[in-house]
Amino acid sequence: MEKQLDRVMDEVLTVPGISGCIFSDKQGLCIGVKGKASAESAGIMSAIANQVAKLEPDNKSPIIVYENDNQSCIIQQQGDITAAIYKTGII
Amino acid sequence: MVEEIKKNILQMIQKVPGVYSVLITDRDGVQVLKVNTDKAPEIPMRPGFLSTFALAVDQGGKLGLGKTKTLICSYPQYLIVQMNKLPLVVTFIANNSCNVGHILALEKQIEPTLSVLSLAVGETYM
Repeated sequence: MEKQLDRVMDEVLTVPGISGCIFSDKQGLCIGVKGKASAESAGIMSAIANQVAKLEPDNKSPIIVYENDNQSCIIQQQGDITAAIYKTGII
Repeated sequence: MVEEIKKNILQMIQKVPGVYSVLITDRDGVQVLKVNTDKAPEIPMRPGFLSTFALAVDQGGKLGLGKTKTLICSYPQYLIVQMNKLPLVVTFIANNSCNVGHILALEKQIEPTLSVLSLAVGETYM
């Protein structure tokens, strides 16, 4: 069942600059993680996506980007799934 | 000191929407600390309910997957997350639609508080 998700994660990691990715379900539980990402952050990612979605309820699925000097984290929720991608360097 | 710990835990759970209360008990379900919000239900707070965690942990150990760390129970109305911090047990009572992953992420934040309390409980058991 998770083969498809595994394939997607492998595909994501082949993109240059991407160091890790994590997927969580609607309960904030980790359904997949690859690369430099921690399964423990799945709940937080999902909570962030839920909170940010409340800012503009009419517009669906905002893309959230957290940046520091050397890496960025991109979060998006679609349906029940929340995905977060860690990228080295800023966008 | 207890008031300060309670305040810290309350601040922590207010950041997670849907969490009603946090109970810190020993393995027999005897309460060491209780932090409630207004909507906290009474039924999951009975020692009879809380003490079943110790039994579940013992049974879980037989699965051969190592020591049981967390137990998540989902009921029609409530969601109960219990963490194995023996001699203490931490129980989170939340709404069924609550973010479980977020509750699990609180584990690291609550650990410093537990180390203070487990010393007290450990001494009592000796």
